[in-house]
Amino acid sequence: MELTYLLLAISMLFALIATYIAIFEKNLVKAVIFSALQSISFALALYLLRAPDIVLVYLPITVGVYPAAILFLIRKTEEVEEV
Amino acid sequence: MRKDLVVAICLAIVIVIISYIVTLGGGLGPLFSDVRPLATVYLGTTFNTSNPIFTAMSPEAVTAIVWDYRGLDTLFETAVFYLAIIGSVAIYRGINEKLRISMGFGLSKIVKVVTKLLIPMNIAVATSIALHGHLTPGGGFQAGAAMAVIPMLLVVVFSRYFLLDIRLSKDLALTLRSIGLLGLALTLFTPVVIGLINGLNAYIMQNQAKINAPVSLPAFVGGSLISGSLIMYNVSEFLAVSFGFAILFILLSIEEGLVKDQMRGEGVEH
Repeated sequence: MELTYLLLAISMLFALIATYIAIFEKNLVKAVIFSALQSISFALALYLLRAPDIVLVYLPITVGVYPAAILFLIRKTEEVEEV
Repeated sequence: MRKDLVVAICLAIVIVIISYIVTLGGGLGPLFSDVRPLATVYLGTTFNTSNPIFTAMSPEAVTAIVWDYRGLDTLFETAVFYLAIIGSVAIYRGINEKLRISMGFGLSKIVKVVTKLLIPMNIAVATSIALHGHLTPGGGFQAGAAMAVIPMLLVVVFSRYFLLDIRLSKDLALTLRSIGLLGLALTLFTPVVIGLINGLNAYIMQNQAKINAPVSLPAFVGGSLISGSLIMYNVSEFLAVSFGFAILFILLSIEEGLVKDQMRGEGVEH
């Protein structure tokens, strides 16, 4: 029980850090990779919360399909965000 | 830099407070210890042979809820996904994706060999998620999403011309996707047709017999559990979702120059 809470806390903290970097990263390709890292830790958290059905759909979509679609879009625009 | 630090610390404090309230503070009730009353209702009826009026004949409660208890919800979700794919097909209308304007070489040989080894495993996993969707966690959409990774890998690793070489064109993907949707529609109306033939009352999307509608789709075939309509819905949704994503990746990977040339009306000769 305590181990579950601990792993949950670690994975969500990792997700928070990855989200923070993804938002403030100027290079969009790196931002997509950090976003995928955030998704991996969310998948772990969902598994710990006993939702294997969601994990099965969350992993391929957020780690495979969504970064690929965003990378295709980034290739059609510019790689580095200019503010 | 200092501003970033302040933002990060504020975020961390908010997260700690929220997670304390949700878990140890008991804001959502005990998270892992007991089964809530709503869950008890579903767990008591999803696979219960002693109560044939209320059961869905599937030990997987999530699939039972998705395709039996709340089947119309899932049907309209599928319709939303269908419209999204149709929208992207409409944007690319009149673009011939079979023209070649460059040589596609893809990534290095190491990546290609690893991908070749991965793809049969991926197909096996996706198919088993679809066919076991009524027994273990999984189902049609999950399997379709797992399968959708394959066209994406093929496009990235082998270039989009590889898809053309194995004849997986947009039209073929659209056809297979339509077969999936047709399977959904046929399963939807099967109980009504059986009811009409036998002169019995039946509902659309009915799986097992209800009090005033005694039509029941077979839960066991040859001694193995197939949960009536659930396996049909899972397999059809698997086809529809996996080839829906395949269409998206085929369209997204068309070179921008090719699209622009064709929109200007200049044929690219090759």
